[in-house]
Amino acid sequence: MSNERGRHVIPGEVITSGNYRSEQNTFMEGNKIISTVIGLSDIRDDGVRVIPLTGGYIPKDDDMVIGKVVSHSAMSWLVNINSCYDGMLPASDVFGRDFSSHSDDLTSKLDTGDLIAARIVNSDRTRDPLLTISGRELGKIDSGELIRISPSKVPRLIGKRGSMIQMIENATNTNVTIGQNGLLVITADHSNGLIKAINAIELIEEQAHVANLTDKINEMLESKSE
Amino acid sequence: MGGRDTNIVLLDENGIRSDGRKVNETRKVTIKAGVLKNANGSAYIEFGDNKILVGVYGPRDVHPKHMSDTSTGILRCRYHMAPFSVGERKNPAPSRREIEISKVIKEALQPAVILKGFPRTAVDVYMEVLQADGGTRCAALTGASVALADAGIPMRDLVAGCAAGKAADTVILDVNNEEDQAGQADLPIGYMPNLEKITLLQLDGVLTPEEYKECLEIGIDGCKQVYEIQKKALQEKYFSTGDGKNG
Amino acid sequence: MASSVIIDSLKKAHILELLADGKRLDGRSLEQTRELSIDVGVIPKAEGSARARLGDTEVVAGVKVQPERPFPDTGDQGMLICTAEILPIAHPTAETGPPTPDVVELARVTDRGIRESKMLDMKQLVLEKDKSVIGIFCDNAVTDHDGNLFDVCSYATTAALNSCKLPKYEMQDDKPVKIEGETTDPPISTLPVSVTMARIGDYILVDPNMDEWSCLDARITITTNSDGNVVALQKGGPEGFTHDQLIKCAEISIQVGSKIREIIKEATKGSN
Repeated sequence: MSNERGRHVIPGEVITSGNYRSEQNTFMEGNKIISTVIGLSDIRDDGVRVIPLTGGYIPKDDDMVIGKVVSHSAMSWLVNINSCYDGMLPASDVFGRDFSSHSDDLTSKLDTGDLIAARIVNSDRTRDPLLTISGRELGKIDSGELIRISPSKVPRLIGKRGSMIQMIENATNTNVTIGQNGLLVITADHSNGLIKAINAIELIEEQAHVANLTDKINEMLESKSE
Repeated sequence: MGGRDTNIVLLDENGIRSDGRKVNETRKVTIKAGVLKNANGSAYIEFGDNKILVGVYGPRDVHPKHMSDTSTGILRCRYHMAPFSVGERKNPAPSRREIEISKVIKEALQPAVILKGFPRTAVDVYMEVLQADGGTRCAALTGASVALADAGIPMRDLVAGCAAGKAADTVILDVNNEEDQAGQADLPIGYMPNLEKITLLQLDGVLTPEEYKECLEIGIDGCKQVYEIQKKALQEKYFSTGDGKNG
Repeated sequence: MASSVIIDSLKKAHILELLADGKRLDGRSLEQTRELSIDVGVIPKAEGSARARLGDTEVVAGVKVQPERPFPDTGDQGMLICTAEILPIAHPTAETGPPTPDVVELARVTDRGIRESKMLDMKQLVLEKDKSVIGIFCDNAVTDHDGNLFDVCSYATTAALNSCKLPKYEMQDDKPVKIEGETTDPPISTLPVSVTMARIGDYILVDPNMDEWSCLDARITITTNSDGNVVALQKGGPEGFTHDQLIKCAEISIQVGSKIREIIKEATKGSN
């Protein structure tokens, strides 16, 4: 059983047949393993999966995500995490275990429209994913511009060991916080840098599959801004 | 819309149809995936003179909440014709025909989509017919499959649509509007090419058991031809530069 | 889903910061519109059609012409009806079902812009007085929504009408019968063009996109005709304009409007 990577597949296409395990984004029909999404097949140690090239964000435990508070109840905030499910941030995560809905006012810490960097604690799909903002580099985001890209493009935006995003940050004098869910926050001292960074990110989203993308981005970043 | 002039020759002595096609030829089909900015997935299809735009949203929250299913995502479809899409301007409000076609297309796509992994959500498929020329439900179904794949909705297979029919006592493939008005039968088919299952089938007209078999055979073949165009549309958008080996 | 359109608190602050510098998030200046492209004849079976794209907002307009009975009090005039619909594919919050007040406003403002400008000479569209007239319908379908639907519907409608061909009819036994193969140009004397502006803080922005639309304080849509006269106005939004701002908006709409008019003329060249 050989390892094989990177064959283009679309839903319904047979990836391989034989003694394999059907893993993410595949299903088995007889002894054939079939893709359920558009993506790249990946055969490894007798397991067959497909890396999707499209689709929304599916919450996974431990993912760092950026979210926007959309409402709150007496005991928690509801947070848009760019997924088909809204995340739930319990008040106790912020106020501590002695939280009391009578004496502690949720809006004093986080209000509708606020942005947070959070981690997914429990992504069981029978209920809304549970979030936490206690942890290093997590918490309310006080400044910056929120940008949304397709979650499947996040790895390309980060680049090998962060090379792509660092190149953009250095050239535009910005700091970019990237959520696995495709939401990013850009902080900049100067509006020119902000606009340039946004343009570069949009180009990457559009052309993530193009071979000489790194060169194109380099070129764009080096051109004089008007 | 009856009472059409029957002076057109549906099939001449050389076996050529009124628009120049042979009996087993489909009209020209082109599909482009990912044409809308806001929709999660989309496709634009031209099937002969049919022009249809499809947008998919989802999985997403279901409103009203009581319509959601705690064990699986649900599929909702809406087939709708623009007022300017047909000969006589059509009232924008949904007609009974559109409601029926919406249901039939939903049931054609349901076996293909895998929504168990998205409980309490809905996937909405909106098909807008901008110009109609016979066979819109097959074309809409074809576009919808591409839009669903473009949105990343897991599917067992794509569903391709094509109609067979009968005109001038001959079994023909892909009935256009003229042939539908003046012809003898119209049999729209929706087909999953890899799983080899028919998920949409309707009939208007009279067929002998022999003709029915012929129509099915020629129609499924038509669906397979349409499937190649669906594949091409997705490959063009996602795999157009370089090979996949670079990841 | 409502949560996707709640504008985050940082974005509005950003928009204001950039405006102080004379800039907008997408790099435009305050009086700059997004890129506009117009294609006519996109629905060949309709009597006229146009697809207008302004940035990421797109509208397809189709013109249908058919004989109608005239309205009782205007038996000497043809009929003109413009409508607009936001298709559910256009935006995650677009709903199916009866039109919301926003959509009704969009349709009526679009209709008013065309009607009040007297773009079409309705008196030339009569087949038999009080019995049969030509009815022209222009239906707008919004296929992608990134703000400023008023203007895109206006441009699509004007382009579709300006490039349409009217069938010819003759009365036979008191009934209008179409003469196959013959068409005529519509009786058009002016090209109405709308320009929508938003007020955010003290700044006036032309052609607001969705982000700017979600945090505007007030907006105004001004329609002008080929003579540079103002033919329709619609103010909206939660707050008000000062007198000076309104004068400025009218000046902008005449300037920007005339540039857009040239684009529409260019796109419909060759159809008349």
